[in-house]
Amino acid sequence: MLTQTLPAWMPRLSFAPTDTAPRGDTLVVVFLRGAADVLNMVVPHGEDAYYQLRPSLGIARPDDSGAKKEDRAVDLDGFFGFHPGLRSLLDVWQSRQLAIIHACGAPDESRSHFKAMELMERGVDDERGPASGWIGRHLATLNTGNSSPLRAVGMGTRPQRSLSGSVPVSALRSIADFHLGGDPRALQQMRAALETVYTGDVLGQDTLSIMDTLQTLDPLTYTSSHNAKYPDSEFGLALKQTAMLIKAQVGLEVSAIDLGGWDTHFAQGSANGQMPNLMKDLADGLAAFHADMLDHMNQLTTVTMSEFGRRASENGSLGTDHGHGSMMMVMGGNVDGGKVHGRWPGLQEGQLIGPGDLAVTTDYRDVLSEILTRRLNNPATNEVFPEYQPAPLNILK
Amino acid sequence: MTLSRRDFLKLGTLVTASAALSSCAPVYRKLAGSLPAVPWTALGANDFLALNRLTFGPRVEERARFVEIGLKAWIEEQLDFDSIHDFDCEIQLAPFKTLKMDANELEGISNGLFDNYDRETVPNELRQATLLRQLYSKRQLYEVMVEFWSDHFNIFIEKGNEFFLKTVDDREVIRKHAFGSFRDLVWASAHSPAMMVYLDNQANEKSHPNENYARELMELHTLGVDGGYTQQDVMELARCLTGWNVKEHFWLGDFVFKEDLHDTGVKKVLNMPVPHSGILEAEQVIETLCAHPSTAHFISSKLARRFLADEPPHEIVEKAAKIFLDTKGDIKSVLRVILLDGLALAQPKYKRPANFVLSSLRMLNVETDAAALHDHLLRMGQLYFNWPTPDGYPDRSEAWQGNLMPRWQFAFELIRNEIKGTKHNLAALLDVSSAGILQDDVDSLASLLLGAPLDRLTSDGLIDSVREAGATDEETLHIIAAGLIASPAFQWR
Repeated sequence: MLTQTLPAWMPRLSFAPTDTAPRGDTLVVVFLRGAADVLNMVVPHGEDAYYQLRPSLGIARPDDSGAKKEDRAVDLDGFFGFHPGLRSLLDVWQSRQLAIIHACGAPDESRSHFKAMELMERGVDDERGPASGWIGRHLATLNTGNSSPLRAVGMGTRPQRSLSGSVPVSALRSIADFHLGGDPRALQQMRAALETVYTGDVLGQDTLSIMDTLQTLDPLTYTSSHNAKYPDSEFGLALKQTAMLIKAQVGLEVSAIDLGGWDTHFAQGSANGQMPNLMKDLADGLAAFHADMLDHMNQLTTVTMSEFGRRASENGSLGTDHGHGSMMMVMGGNVDGGKVHGRWPGLQEGQLIGPGDLAVTTDYRDVLSEILTRRLNNPATNEVFPEYQPAPLNILK
Repeated sequence: MTLSRRDFLKLGTLVTASAALSSCAPVYRKLAGSLPAVPWTALGANDFLALNRLTFGPRVEERARFVEIGLKAWIEEQLDFDSIHDFDCEIQLAPFKTLKMDANELEGISNGLFDNYDRETVPNELRQATLLRQLYSKRQLYEVMVEFWSDHFNIFIEKGNEFFLKTVDDREVIRKHAFGSFRDLVWASAHSPAMMVYLDNQANEKSHPNENYARELMELHTLGVDGGYTQQDVMELARCLTGWNVKEHFWLGDFVFKEDLHDTGVKKVLNMPVPHSGILEAEQVIETLCAHPSTAHFISSKLARRFLADEPPHEIVEKAAKIFLDTKGDIKSVLRVILLDGLALAQPKYKRPANFVLSSLRMLNVETDAAALHDHLLRMGQLYFNWPTPDGYPDRSEAWQGNLMPRWQFAFELIRNEIKGTKHNLAALLDVSSAGILQDDVDSLASLLLGAPLDRLTSDGLIDSVREAGATDEETLHIIAAGLIASPAFQWR
């Protein structure tokens, strides 16, 4: 059998040098790729303009007796309501551990997925900024004395753009996939060859360490806490594995998770259909993660974001085109939750911008900077978001 | 003159490769999968790098031909792809009947009882054929360009009817024009039902325009995101494209222009008035986009990135862009500049997963039916036609580093002959006849996979470490073969 020696980085976790910053929360960043139609997620049911702009796609008011009860918005504060697909997040909302920041986003108005994602993941205004990602720079500027290869993990086949930088990060699709096969004797030979060819190679050595660590974890036999039930989806698995890594104390500081499919130009569905199914995956996943991690909520912050929002008016294909203002959600034990933060710019003519899009009243970096400074003990927001002066909204304690 | 492989290795540089090869001319016509008829020698680092960019990983015969005729002639031979006989590859493709079918036929064979669609057969044949072509075709540079354009005009095969439409797009757009003119390529893509469906243009109607295709046509296919167009241009081009659509009944899956869905109003794109002229409106804009200096620059820099470096040399891009404009987008002319002027300036590129898999198969003369390799490509992150967003699989090294595990798994499964339908014959390839010279075999493997043998210290260290882990000599050779495929050096090309 392969000897279960401690990976080289392990001791440094227990004996961190005194000049390092104390570890803050573990951060989970969920990116909704494709520009989520946030106006149908957190519905401004108090706005008549919303219903004029969306005669087919609009989600009925919570008190609209003309619509089936399960198709109506779920009221949050008398003005906004959850799409029924997000209903499973209601408990978290009511426990005040979930905050919403509406009309939030980036200054970029290219309405290009790729440009907007690139700039947002880099945390910059335009091409001239640093090429690394904002999470990469967060890791580089905060010395936590943690050299675990699992310090930052991108769930999926490759690390997210936001993770790129001088600190090595890992891509992880599935804990169960992470083995070389063969019998123990062959494994020992393979390991010997890999150790040799990867001598002095950081990525290779990291991968060998991860292999050792993950050998002890199995998502199939994992028992979640508080009867949490993760959805049977890639997204659910990514959250479950994040929970496993946190509980296994392998040094995880950041987990980046993608949920794609939000580019709904065509037949996105109103109360039911394509996009509502995505919302259900999102909400069920986050709710399960919250329940599973309830005992850790004081050291855990989860944030969702998307590259931009979609046009306020529906298009003729029962979908929506690229727009501007988006929405973020922040979940955690130290969130000023049960509240929609940010200034609502309105959906009436003269309030929309460009070709008819929700305006941005909160820069996404205001939200992220607050998480970095208040929850992750990283005061260097000027390096993480260069040339940007963040204004806190007091979303976090 | 005949030399055994071992003699050849011992003689080393005393015998020039061309002298050794002059008597072996017919080897280029060998059947795919049979053993190389020529021995191989170490290649200079520059030559090995060039061949790695021009092919999916050089086979022994390709190395020999390259050494024989040199870079320039080798490239010309490859550019004249029609004159390269590709019988062996065609034999491999013969079982895949769907490759030659039109959309109507493809829909027919996919459509089972009660509209219960088989969404697997057609895409799987296309994926398998793609891999087999990259593996067995002698038109390697052509296949490299087919891959490039498949990314540039990316289509996600999981969306809607793409499961059968992509096969037509692959044949009539990408493969038909891969070495032709860029204008013809864009033209064909714009009239491709697969592209209409992928980027929602079949939903683009006068009463409610859909901007998706119009935007990507400018942003990703021609001008580039900073190519000088505005949101207004996107909306106006979308109006020009209203009515560009796909037939839904008779001749299902063919392109059609639906006059009644077309916006007849006046449009203005890139400061150019577009008079009402039906389908000609967008066609006029396409001509403008293809001849635009931003397009010349954007395409040249993407090509240079693929062949030369993540940050390609500025002067090569400029020169290629000029040739692009002068020749109205003649792809071969642009390639000549990038390859002949640029390869000497090339920087290491991290192999994308398909390149990693193919290079190990080609260099070790592995035979495969390709079926079981798709799961490996999926885990590495590059299953063919599976990139959801229209920007295509990333081409920069940083996008692919950090996911080593599936590559290691592939390397060991390959050498253990555990991948279904895939088989190497290392013993025959290395002609393991004499006991006790593991060292020579390791040199030989390193020369095949990395261009030249490892230095003595490294290869001794490698052999010792595996032996110390309890391996016999035969096991050691296999572990080292896999270890070399898994090694950092082999991840770069």
